[in-house]
Amino acid sequence: MFEKILVANRGEIALRVMRGCKELGIPTVAVHSEADVEALHVKFADEAVCIGPAPASESYLNTQALLSACEVTGADALHPGYGFLAESADFSEMCDAHEITFIGPSAEMIRRMGDKARARNLMSESGVPIIPGSEAIRDDDSAVGLGDDIGYPLMVKASAGGGGKGMRIVRAREELRENIRIARSEAEAAFGNGELYMEKLLERPRHIEFQILGDQHGTVVHLGERDCSIQRRHQKLIEESPSPAVTPDLRARMGAAAVRGAKQIGYTGAGTIEFLLDDTGHFYFMEMNTRIQVEHPVTELVTGADLIKEQIRAAAGEPLSITQEHLGLRGHAIECRINAEDPDRDFAPSPGDVTEFYAPGGPGIRVDTHVYGGYFIPPYYDSMIAKLLAHGNSREEAISRMRRALDEFVIAGVKTTLPFHAAMMRHEGFLSGRFDTGTVERMQSAA
Amino acid sequence: MDKRKLEELIALVEDRDIQELSISGPFTSVRIVRGSAPTPQPVAVERASVAAPAPIESAAAAEETPVVDDRDSGLQPVVSPMVGTFYAASEPGAEAYVRQGDHVSKGQVVCIVEAMKLLNEIESEVGGTVVRVLVDNAQPVEFGQKLFLIQPD
Repeated sequence: MFEKILVANRGEIALRVMRGCKELGIPTVAVHSEADVEALHVKFADEAVCIGPAPASESYLNTQALLSACEVTGADALHPGYGFLAESADFSEMCDAHEITFIGPSAEMIRRMGDKARARNLMSESGVPIIPGSEAIRDDDSAVGLGDDIGYPLMVKASAGGGGKGMRIVRAREELRENIRIARSEAEAAFGNGELYMEKLLERPRHIEFQILGDQHGTVVHLGERDCSIQRRHQKLIEESPSPAVTPDLRARMGAAAVRGAKQIGYTGAGTIEFLLDDTGHFYFMEMNTRIQVEHPVTELVTGADLIKEQIRAAAGEPLSITQEHLGLRGHAIECRINAEDPDRDFAPSPGDVTEFYAPGGPGIRVDTHVYGGYFIPPYYDSMIAKLLAHGNSREEAISRMRRALDEFVIAGVKTTLPFHAAMMRHEGFLSGRFDTGTVERMQSAA
Repeated sequence: MDKRKLEELIALVEDRDIQELSISGPFTSVRIVRGSAPTPQPVAVERASVAAPAPIESAAAAEETPVVDDRDSGLQPVVSPMVGTFYAASEPGAEAYVRQGDHVSKGQVVCIVEAMKLLNEIESEVGGTVVRVLVDNAQPVEFGQKLFLIQPD
């Protein structure tokens, strides 16, 4: 097992990882920018190292500073959290070169799944259904032919993209060339790689993702699905498990497909396979995320598994502590992402002093947050300040607990999306369980 | 509690002629008692339920000698531009680049900070006298950590 783990992240995920380390008896090192001197993850860790000024590019993304911090503290493993360098194959390789275990999959695996066009092919070869689409577009002329094969409407997507970025909708043949030109230059600018591929656009799909865990002994299990269809501009807002749209039969088939795909590529560690589910019960592979995800607590609540500890154990060469036969979904869990944003001003970021903070509690409530009363939310990083989760014996009970918890939650001094979530927990579409990835946008334009 | 806050509290105790000052926050408590020493001695107490992290630089509370307030007296710090290991000399056994009391010119190399097997020469940004050497040879240092205090010419 590791001697010391450096957590290369900040905010609530840094705390989450440190909690797992503490339970395993492993000392932790926090790294922080000058803007995060008073951050909770710095106070929680056994040691703290300032790695740079406020901008992420000079601190949390500063690979030299991170490796140097491992060196001076004697850390033999590094957990990248999510975001930042979590899916940087180059950084994973640098860690290898310095004999620091990167707690995540290998650089090769990150590259394979990070190339979205290639990931589609690999999954397809494993018999996982993929969205009808194309390989990488070689030239604009052949693209027109590919577009005809796929059928309209379709999406032009960046191979190096992901997470909802670098995508364009094309509704008719005449619009294809222009959109390819735009998408290519956007992709170049955003990812340094203009390669594109195309996919059929599914109307009103649900985003259903499966949590995967693999160890270095060849075991791969799935921990059920999370329905992440409540999104705004491709950013998830609410996630739940189980999905109201997934029957036990569908779960078995999708889970088996996810495990088959992950086993085929030899996946180790925690990962998530994202599917789109259309309204005829057909599911299609979309992409795979080779990291721990923001919404992982949803799965922890319904399965009782501790995904961070499993990640650390798997990275240390230990077998998973759970088997597929013993995994079951118990009850229902919902997560609301609370952001420091003003829902009345188009979700504009709202950093600043948190003058009062009271987190909800009671049965079935879990709060993952790095915020405390008196904390100054710096303007340099993402706006998520808390994850509020409710677990109940049924979906109704989980919703009722979430409503109660949202009412109890006090965050004063900054604007937050608490009112938005309170409204969602009363929205007929959400309550009925009949929603898709377009629901929030339709709700907002109707308002 | 960071060092600057602690220094502000000490200044407050001195300016207002306070005998004893106690402050508690969510994770730290501080009690500063004015003794017979010329400068008040701070005692930082962390709450029992949260273990205090050990930052790489020595905390102000652990020092016995009075804190030299570089802001007020116009001292210019030399800070580390990176995470690494501080070395006072160019190689083991060699003479230290500078000692307390030495004069340095602007751009003069005052130490090495080694990161990832690369030795980085750190230069003074001002000409002046080295008032204090704040770190020990082979000590790990973090970004922004003060290494020397220089009294500019």
